[in-house]
Amino acid sequence: MEKQDNESLISVRELKKYFNDGEIKALDGITVDINKGDVMVVIGPSGGGKSTFLRSLNLLEVPTSGQIIFEGVDITKKKSDDGKKLDLPLHRRKIGMVFQHFNLFPHKTILQNMTLAPMKTKGLSQAEAEEKALALLERVGLKDRADAYPSQLSGGQKQRVAIVRALAMEPDVMLFDEPTSALDPEMVGEVLAVMKELAKSGMTMVVVTHEMGFAKEVGNRILFISEGKIVEEGTPDQIFNDPQSPRLQDFLSKVLI
Amino acid sequence: MNFQVIGRNIIQIAVKYWDKFLIDGLSYTFALSAITVAFGAIFGAVLALQKMSKIAPLRWLSVAYVEIIRGTPMLLQLYMFYFALPMLIPALNKQKFACIAIALVCNSAAYVSEVIRSGIQAVDYGQTEAALSLGLTKTQNFFSVVLPQAVKNILPALGNEFIMIIKDTSLASTFFIGDLMTQYVLIKGTTYLPIEPLVIVGVIYFTVTFILSKVFGFFERRMRHGEAR
Ligand SMILES: Nc1ncnc2c1ncn2[C@@H]1O[C@H](COP(=O)(O)OP(=O)(O)OP(=O)(O)O)[C@@H](O)[C@H]1O
Ligand SMILES: [Mg+2]
Repeated sequence: MEKQDNESLISVRELKKYFNDGEIKALDGITVDINKGDVMVVIGPSGGGKSTFLRSLNLLEVPTSGQIIFEGVDITKKKSDDGKKLDLPLHRRKIGMVFQHFNLFPHKTILQNMTLAPMKTKGLSQAEAEEKALALLERVGLKDRADAYPSQLSGGQKQRVAIVRALAMEPDVMLFDEPTSALDPEMVGEVLAVMKELAKSGMTMVVVTHEMGFAKEVGNRILFISEGKIVEEGTPDQIFNDPQSPRLQDFLSKVLI
Repeated sequence: MNFQVIGRNIIQIAVKYWDKFLIDGLSYTFALSAITVAFGAIFGAVLALQKMSKIAPLRWLSVAYVEIIRGTPMLLQLYMFYFALPMLIPALNKQKFACIAIALVCNSAAYVSEVIRSGIQAVDYGQTEAALSLGLTKTQNFFSVVLPQAVKNILPALGNEFIMIIKDTSLASTFFIGDLMTQYVLIKGTTYLPIEPLVIVGVIYFTVTFILSKVFGFFERRMRHGEAR
């Protein structure tokens, strides 16, 4: 809580991720600071490396080289300089992630989906975990579905559950990888509304999305990534109203029709 | 062929020897099958985990084992265990039921290991990613997220394996270990009738496997109910 508003939460330094022995350079030297309270929206053409960038931040993708310093710890190093072994699950608990395809656990009820990790990793009792889960479900209007299974929910409901499931871990930052891309159009709004509210509450967020309206309205920084590099970075106003690079201009002309 | 005579013979043999078929034979067949499935599943799980291990030699061992079992006839394996096991382990001398049971377990484990491995790998990797992103360890992820879903893929296949084994144990009659098929050979010997007892044994095999497949099917549908994606 003592942290200043623009203190860097995640520092990414010269991050590279190669696939197929360097044939594919998914990330080719990304350097960026994600500050506390940022709502960073990542846009760019398909295959540009947006997902790889996001998935590197919690090491679902192991970088080829570079550093990711999360709350002062370089999580790309298995051992820190003073010989301490990295506790990756411990760091991941503070980095929530929401996936395009929800990835709810189908064999567990909504409530169980939400209490599993807090009980297993934070030692919360079932009663404590459930109380917190129900409060979060209420926040997204799904308290009455607590005992349903994921298969009984609509796509929009599933994604709202996925968001609060991540929030139940009380993360310091939330990562979203195209959270509305798998939804029917009429359900996009309800998920974006939850994300908007979350941004308003001060949550640090990194959001990969094709929803340019959301980017303009909710984002405070826009990152344009193409061919594994940050081609342009700026405020929504700079990016959308005054794009500098031809590649961004070309991209915007295609998506803003 | 005189069907009337055959029909009468079938009834007479069934009445006279029903206990040989149903009590002696079927109980041996069931015992052998149950032992095979239970221990085959345990050994098969070990082979499957070995096959997914990070340690290469463990993987090779498991792969080689499965390939050898799958690439040789079951009857050959039964002979091999029947003759070779007592030489290796003196305690198994004259224990032909144990030798055959071990052979069946070793055979079944190879097939079951593939069922278990593919059942685990069929669980969407997104499940693991979600679990890890929530901060679960790999072990917690395996036991709380992956395995419960894998079991749903594996159990129906294990049911099928049980039914296959019930039929496969008939090969064990080659060694006269007392199963249903052994009873056939014995009764054929005393009655000098090859067809009639065979029909009886066939009806028993069919009835048992048919009922079991219906029962397993019922549980499979119940298991999938409501929780499917
Ligand atoms: N596991 C992988 N193995 C090989 N290549 C991969 C792998 N994951 C990603 N890539 C490649 O890395 C590049 C960047 O992919 P990435 O998924 O990060 O793009 P993206 O910007 O998220 O695209 P989209 O908008 O389509 O989701 C692509 O060329 C992709 O084919
Ligand atoms: Mg992507």
